[in-house]
Amino acid sequence: MSQIQPATLDIVDDGAFAGQIVGLPRGGGKRRRLAVPGWLRLLASTPKGRVGLTIVLGMVALGLAAPLLVRSSAGTDFSLLDARQGPSWHHLFGTTDQGSDVFAQVVWGARRSLALGAAAGAIATVLATMLGVFAAYVGGVVDDILNLITNVFFVIPPIPLLIAVTAFLHTRGMLTMTLVIATTLWAFEARILRGQALTLRNRDFVLAAKVAGESTRRIVFGEILPNMISRIAAAFVLVFYIAILVDAGLEFLGLGDMTKASWGVALYWATVNSAMLQGEWWAFVFPGLAIGITVLGLTLILAGMDEISNPRLRAMRAPSRLARKVRARAQESA
Amino acid sequence: MTNVVEPMAEVTATERRSEVLVELRGLAVEYGFGDRRVRAVDGIDLAIHAGEVVGLAGESGCGKSTVANAVMQILRPPAHLTRGSILFRGDDLTLKKREELRKYRWRNVSMVFQSAMNSLNPVMRVGDQFVDMMQAHQHVSKKAALARAAELLDVVGIDKRRVRAFPHELSGGMRQRVIIALALALSPELLIMDEPTTALDVIVQREILQQVQDLQRDLHFAVLFITHDLSLLLEFADRIAIMYAGEIVESAPSARLHENPQHPYTRGLMESFPPISGPLQRLAGIPGAPPDLADPPSGCLFHPRCPLCLPEEAAMYARQTTERPRLREVERDHFVACHRVEGVA
Amino acid sequence: MTETSLDVRHLTKHFPADSARLGRRSYVHAVDDVSFTLRRGRITALVGESGSGKSTVARVLARLYEPTKASVLFEGRDVSSERSRSALRRYRSQVQMIFQDPFGSLNPVKTVRHHIERPLLIHGIVARDELEERVHDLLTTVGLVPPEHVAAKYPHELSGGQRQRVAIARTLAVEPVVLLADEPTSMLDVSIRIGILNLMLKLKEERRIAFLYVTHDLACARYVADEILVMYAGQIVEQGPIEAVLADPLHPYTRLLLSAVPDSGLGESKRIEVRKGLASAAVDPPDGCRFVTRCPLAIDVCSHTTPPLVEARSEHAARCHVTAPSQSHAEKEAVR
Repeated sequence: MSQIQPATLDIVDDGAFAGQIVGLPRGGGKRRRLAVPGWLRLLASTPKGRVGLTIVLGMVALGLAAPLLVRSSAGTDFSLLDARQGPSWHHLFGTTDQGSDVFAQVVWGARRSLALGAAAGAIATVLATMLGVFAAYVGGVVDDILNLITNVFFVIPPIPLLIAVTAFLHTRGMLTMTLVIATTLWAFEARILRGQALTLRNRDFVLAAKVAGESTRRIVFGEILPNMISRIAAAFVLVFYIAILVDAGLEFLGLGDMTKASWGVALYWATVNSAMLQGEWWAFVFPGLAIGITVLGLTLILAGMDEISNPRLRAMRAPSRLARKVRARAQESA
Repeated sequence: MTNVVEPMAEVTATERRSEVLVELRGLAVEYGFGDRRVRAVDGIDLAIHAGEVVGLAGESGCGKSTVANAVMQILRPPAHLTRGSILFRGDDLTLKKREELRKYRWRNVSMVFQSAMNSLNPVMRVGDQFVDMMQAHQHVSKKAALARAAELLDVVGIDKRRVRAFPHELSGGMRQRVIIALALALSPELLIMDEPTTALDVIVQREILQQVQDLQRDLHFAVLFITHDLSLLLEFADRIAIMYAGEIVESAPSARLHENPQHPYTRGLMESFPPISGPLQRLAGIPGAPPDLADPPSGCLFHPRCPLCLPEEAAMYARQTTERPRLREVERDHFVACHRVEGVA
Repeated sequence: MTETSLDVRHLTKHFPADSARLGRRSYVHAVDDVSFTLRRGRITALVGESGSGKSTVARVLARLYEPTKASVLFEGRDVSSERSRSALRRYRSQVQMIFQDPFGSLNPVKTVRHHIERPLLIHGIVARDELEERVHDLLTTVGLVPPEHVAAKYPHELSGGQRQRVAIARTLAVEPVVLLADEPTSMLDVSIRIGILNLMLKLKEERRIAFLYVTHDLACARYVADEILVMYAGQIVEQGPIEAVLADPLHPYTRLLLSAVPDSGLGESKRIEVRKGLASAAVDPPDGCRFVTRCPLAIDVCSHTTPPLVEARSEHAARCHVTAPSQSHAEKEAVR
């Protein structure tokens, strides 16, 4: 965000005032067609953010549209008649050895992966924020205990733990996966958020709030947390995409629910069916691409968020022709 | 004291006047491109003679650090030179290749940065940092370099044994002295100091400046002393240039500037320093704030804050709000950029 | 109404030092036995270099740190023993603090209005429907006009001087009696400082606020203050009316400080002789004067007896065996 220095208009002077009249903005406010939330606009202001957002929103749209695009609800219609077909108008992404429509797998898989990723991200972030920030602000013994707990979880490697848990549990549904992934990933973020909260705790504006008489609760929620939003959001996105990868990885290994449609399961079947050897590239390329592109989109969003919060990362390049045209038109109408 | 740092040849006063070491001609530096670009420095003319202490005064955002970086040729994107030239002994630095510039930096001109005391490598001993630097510029053995480092520390008033110390074992003032010693190690002809003592207490500040002054007298290097503290410059500089919003608004020998400041900004600045002795009266400071360089005022950049810019005086007001004043000589060696100050023909 | 606002007696703050020796804890003596009085309508400057303990004094008085030992009387009432929440709130409604960093003392994600509203709401200064008007009044008092426009701004949209004025407006919201200003102008541009100092003078005169002005800048202290306290390594080494102290500094440290200040009134630069030593608080300092290693006047007794603060002139005290000898010591000398 640029530093907007106010223009001084009049000079009222009794020494103490020293002309502190703050300039009025030019143009009298912006006209907006859509009420786009601030954070969205912010993210869309960098090229990386734009691309990432497009990808992710595209995937979300795909997943939401699944029931409309594919007839069957579970997406794993086995129709041996149509098995092993390459991409065609009837089956956009072809079919597998078992006769499942790969397109259905991708589209329904999107629902699953995105929902799981978002849920795991949310749970892990909430846990990490609560424990990390609380530990940082309260300090002392509470901090020490919470640190111990965090470190224990931190050290546990997620995938082996997940393998062990899913092997033992009888339910392998989405809920289980979500919870297990969230509990193994929150610790990493908790440390980072605690670190940030620690630095914020000693900032002058927090001390000033204390001196003004604010209660601890209000300081944590009103002063500290609002300044951590970007890092918390980043934590969410990070866990989101790691969750997708971990989930897909586990399913690929055969530890997921093989009856449901998902990207990892699709890859599992593709491997089991030796799709590569048989030249049925569509069976693994499309699900693989789906995973890859989604993760890419999320990573780009992260990079975009980085650029926003650290202006020095933004390369100063000449704006694109389109951007210049848009800006010129905006200035004309202002 | 044996001459650890090679002194320049003793130049006489007249020779000094004519020997121009560094000259900036019409220098302009911008940050960014297109609509969002900001002209940080706009049309600077400045000359530094051999052995001279030139002070560059101005408040935050006036562009003085940019000028320093330009002389050192360390401007990094998004900053870029748009106009003008930087001459070192007549050679235009903007035309030099990277290898030549590398040799130029530190040997001909060196710099002490703002809060440089924090830029010492915390995990290397002080002496090793000297060795590092010297070996980058010349072929010296580590032993010889360390010996020289110890001598340099002595020159700036630090116990030689501190060569083996780590930066955190030294106080802020001592670290700043190490930085100065590092800057003088290759006997540069010009030492640029960008706010060298801002983070230091007043006693340490005076110690260090005294030290630099002594060194400067012995070794005859020129100094470009950049600071917002005009009172320091009035004491230590031979010549002072006042910068405002990317331009030089006044320049004169320091005694002259003190006696007869012409530009309203200079006058305002002088009125911003409460006196430590003598009569005490209410000061006015300067109302308002420095301009947004992305959207600067038209005409004279200082006019919104200037007590001499009055709409009642229509003709003058029109000039002040549309035309940028140029630096004009108002008396010998004293230049002012102000519509209300008549130049000497 | 009593003249004395804040009576500080024997304020001491020790911080545990990292290098703890076996069995015994080491302490950094950040502040040792500091006593002074703040009065309504007067500005008291607390001057010292970094590490001298001056900021710590301000923070203890702002109740951000608990003192190791102290007796603090606010308008005659002993507040140092009051720990309850309501007592703390009452204290905070009377004693406020201005911080050094105008960029750091405001919450970057909150508007100016929020900053000024909060203290008004916490302490119930005005009814909700009068809130906006009071916010505008306060902004006008500190010179930020038009207030409606400024109130909607975020800190990054204001300049350093304007942010500091917002910070001051925030402290004025509770209608304080005492304002602790911790280097309020050090991080501001030179031409902006005068504006803030003039504002402090105006508040002192119009609202009869008692100021504690912590600074390292003697010239600024002289500009606004009525009295001065000079701190060195955690102790007060000199105190008195400011003109008296600056005209006739008793303590060698004050003299050194005075000689180091740039004085553009003189023709040439001053030179000072400086010996090695640090102005900052020491760990477990031994008895004796803390300035002894740097003092040009040091005599035998300085190394082993801590000099007491002695009133050598009218209302002007110093902590020095040589320039402000204590009565008992002088008598001892006479007897010998």
